[in-house]
Amino acid sequence: MSEIHIPTFAPETIFHIGNLAVTNTAINAWLAIVIFLVLGILIKKSVKNKPNKLQNAAEFFLEIMLGYFDQVTGDRKKTIRFLPIVGSIFFFILLSNWLGLLPGTGSIHVGENMLLRPANTDLNLTLAIALVSVISSHVYAFITIGVFTHLGKFIQIKNVIKSFKKGPMAVFTAIIEFFVGLLEIISEIAKIISLSLRLFGNIFAGEVLISVISALVVAIVPTPFMLLEVLVGVIQAGVFAMLTLVYLHIATSAPHGEESH
Amino acid sequence: MNEEALNTNTESTANEQSLPASLGLNAQLFVFQLINFAIVAVILWFLILKPLTKKLEERKKMIDESIDNAKEIETNLALSEKEYQDKLKEAKAEASKVIEKAHTEAKQLGEDMKVKAKTEVEGIIDQAKKTIKNEKVQMMEEIRQESATLIVTALEKILNEKMDGKIDKKIIEDSLNSLKK
Repeated sequence: MSEIHIPTFAPETIFHIGNLAVTNTAINAWLAIVIFLVLGILIKKSVKNKPNKLQNAAEFFLEIMLGYFDQVTGDRKKTIRFLPIVGSIFFFILLSNWLGLLPGTGSIHVGENMLLRPANTDLNLTLAIALVSVISSHVYAFITIGVFTHLGKFIQIKNVIKSFKKGPMAVFTAIIEFFVGLLEIISEIAKIISLSLRLFGNIFAGEVLISVISALVVAIVPTPFMLLEVLVGVIQAGVFAMLTLVYLHIATSAPHGEESH
Repeated sequence: MNEEALNTNTESTANEQSLPASLGLNAQLFVFQLINFAIVAVILWFLILKPLTKKLEERKKMIDESIDNAKEIETNLALSEKEYQDKLKEAKAEASKVIEKAHTEAKQLGEDMKVKAKTEVEGIIDQAKKTIKNEKVQMMEEIRQESATLIVTALEKILNEKMDGKIDKKIIEDSLNSLKK
């Protein structure tokens, strides 16, 4: 039985570029960048109305993904509008998760540290993606429904002022709505935390599991767990992307009762 | 007492600070990973997703247009077929009319020709009758003269006497008149 090397929460620094510490998760992210770059150049160069095998495969996955996204947005145009964010999140998380299952990840060491570690076992990355997800939902909302309308969802002073003309019950409701608006601000922070911690937790747990199992029994036994991780990789990418899409869709929808004003 | 409280506060502050650090959160790494994700997003969008979605849209548009064109062609074909059938029906009707007219005309022509032929035949018959009549008259005249000559000759032979011309003629005329009677 080999020594069990359980990964720490924090990614390990492999080397430094000036003052910048390059971690093993960053190397995995770079690996994903290189793969996407090569694939992107090949696809961009060969994209035609009559697709080749690579384009065909890429379109197959894209069509499936767009189909799922359409179920949330209900409109292909809206899906395409959100695709730069949601598509990037989905494919990046998916590839990063699957890259963590490649031979060498967790087993090649530089000194005491692993050379490669799944990118999403770094809370910095998951937090960065979650922030992009939530902030982009607000940016899209500002562009689509207007800055003041969107901010009005969180700070509902307008309703409080209007309610004074309508009577005490309306004032009471407006005050409750005002506090609900403030709660919405907290829920935005909760979104970031839940998105980042969910992805980090799932992938980190998977990595720990595989590390432990691989240390206990080297061959065959880890395989079912790795297959499970393949599935977890897709599910987590899908959950993150879908939640982002839902945030984008809700944020860009007009607030309740807005039409009647 | 105050010192204890201060110590507790310091410990809790140290714990709070260490929580993000223990999870590996680091401002520099965070920015670094944010940039990594931004690069991925740019590559994915501009090199993969945008060209592919654009191509998918183009293809969809092309297919829609092709279907519309096919429908239009089908409609035009159906219209042409209908027009062709109408024309064919019209031509058939016209042909029937022409044939009927030809029949009528032929019948009329036949009738006319029959009448004309009848008239002509009647004319020929009349002509023939007239000719025959004339010939008959002429023959009768010739016969009468021949008869007269024969009678004269016969009488001359019977009577054996020579008569003069005036007596002959008178006898002949009398004979002929008696023949007519």
